[in-house]
Amino acid sequence: MMNEYYPFPAIIKEIKKEGFNTKTFILKFKDPKIADMFSWEPGQFMMLSILGVGESAISISDVENDNSINATIRNVGNVTNSIFSLKKGDSLGMRGPYGRGWPLKDIRGKDILIVAGGMGLAPLHGVINHIIKNRKEYGHLEIIYGARTSGDMIFKDEFSKWKKIKNNSFFLTADEITGENPFECKRGLVTSCFPMMKTHHRNAIALVCGPEIMMRFVAKCLVTIGFADKQIYLSLERRMKCGVGKCGHCQIGLKYVCKDGPVFDYSDIKPFIRPL
Amino acid sequence: MTSYIINKKDLKILLDKFLKDFKVYGPIKPGLDSSFDEIKSINDLHLEYKSTIIPPKKFFLPATDTLFEFKIQKGKHEIKEILNDEKFILFGLHPCDVNAILKLDEFFSGKFKDNYYRNRRNNSIIVALNCIQPGENSFCKSMNTGPFLHKGYDILLTDIDTKYLIEIGSDKGKKTIQGLKLNIASKKDLLKKEKKCKSANKKIKKILDPNWLPKLAEENLDHEIWVDLGERGGVAGSFPCLSCGSCSLVCPTCYCYDVYDNIDLSLKKGSRVRELDSCQLLEYGQVALGGNFRKDRKDRIRHWMFCKFGAAAGGKNSSCVGCGRCIRVCPSKIDITKVAKSLGRKK
Repeated sequence: MMNEYYPFPAIIKEIKKEGFNTKTFILKFKDPKIADMFSWEPGQFMMLSILGVGESAISISDVENDNSINATIRNVGNVTNSIFSLKKGDSLGMRGPYGRGWPLKDIRGKDILIVAGGMGLAPLHGVINHIIKNRKEYGHLEIIYGARTSGDMIFKDEFSKWKKIKNNSFFLTADEITGENPFECKRGLVTSCFPMMKTHHRNAIALVCGPEIMMRFVAKCLVTIGFADKQIYLSLERRMKCGVGKCGHCQIGLKYVCKDGPVFDYSDIKPFIRPL
Repeated sequence: MTSYIINKKDLKILLDKFLKDFKVYGPIKPGLDSSFDEIKSINDLHLEYKSTIIPPKKFFLPATDTLFEFKIQKGKHEIKEILNDEKFILFGLHPCDVNAILKLDEFFSGKFKDNYYRNRRNNSIIVALNCIQPGENSFCKSMNTGPFLHKGYDILLTDIDTKYLIEIGSDKGKKTIQGLKLNIASKKDLLKKEKKCKSANKKIKKILDPNWLPKLAEENLDHEIWVDLGERGGVAGSFPCLSCGSCSLVCPTCYCYDVYDNIDLSLKKGSRVRELDSCQLLEYGQVALGGNFRKDRKDRIRHWMFCKFGAAAGGKNSSCVGCGRCIRVCPSKIDITKVAKSLGRKK
């Protein structure tokens, strides 16, 4: 009998530093059968566990050709702290992928607006790469990324690549600018970029991920400028213990964030995240 | 299937047959209150019980349950799944509790199957007992879960004065009583059951319309009652909620659980454990860096009520069966039926 809670061993192939207390761990299932069978969609997450410490839900930022999984992690709690103590070649427990990702198939042909805050760029990183790879299938791409400080930003080495994407606009904001500022990061919140925004709501879809307070403001602003609730997709964070819709912690209204989400369209969850 | 009868004083024969083949759990009364525990002889049984504090979900979803045991060694990954293979009989369950188990069955099957729950469930035999003396907090009649049972049992007993009527609900039940010489029930016995059912129904005073509940939840997301229940003076004679989590603990359909790792003092081995959790506790919605998605008490009590109304993610699988345990244990005297009624009344 298959046990869904069983954490399969995975090996850390590489560790990349992303910024202040954030690293990308490149992980691969040790069992080649499981690794080969792995398939995913951007927006889904994995359950990573350190035996003796616990388990955490971590979003997949990308998957490489050999099916190794990129998990971009900020060191904020017990499990992430122990993951940070691991080195290249060490192993940990991994199961997944879980959840429903971004609706990439349904939004083909549309203009895409990506609004991310802080670590919220991690689950959207796979979307951006998907759009780069299938550039012709999507319309204008606009990325607005904000962080607490410019030093907190993740995936900085890819910014110059993203700036060069065809038919694209790219804005960066931070509450505080620290150190050098090679990417012309502006001071302020993500919503401060909305007046400069090129995306028109007529044929656009917004994909939003960040702290919930940010998403509430972004959703409100987008609705004000003409977006319908159904055109806005949010990826939510919740406490998760099982990842398969059983432990109950991630419930929001009539849905489980782990099973029915983490990506929801705004109309589905609006009453439960207290719209502004 | 055929129905049988057994004289009350001969119940020992039936129980001894069960005890020979299985571990038997049933209602006992060790002190002031009854609870489900191991039955070693007929003298332990307390079949006149009204309700227990802890529901029989503890036999399928124990308060703490070890999922895995593992060794902690660098470079090694040794994990052992811990499954419980004990075969057991649950004796004397009331219809509300059997219906709650049926809901949990549904919840833990489907696309994702929980081995721990299902293994225990497959190893269990349910001998239910129709409820002829419903407690003052029961509203099973409204929820269609009692006082008499129509499905989900392997064997069903009904107290018909000097005898028990024995009905068989499954092949498992049939096998369990194989070899016993039992008299076949007469028409009169079956009529007596009907009569008992009617009189039990009459004893239930609490009434609630279950079909109306999900709609009630949908329409009253921002009702003042939640502020009353969470922060102000309570609702319909209750005090405000204390977030103690007792209601979840005693609810036969509350399934939420936490998962954590225990480490041995040697630091060489450990276990992964799941423990029943409650959405009423502050930590339930807490994430790293102290963020909490259900920080306000009013949001937590609302979530619990909606879950029991069948308007949360668990849907009908976690909705109320009307056993009345939460009403009985609530230190603030919060009564789910009164909350529902107040919601329906005032805007």
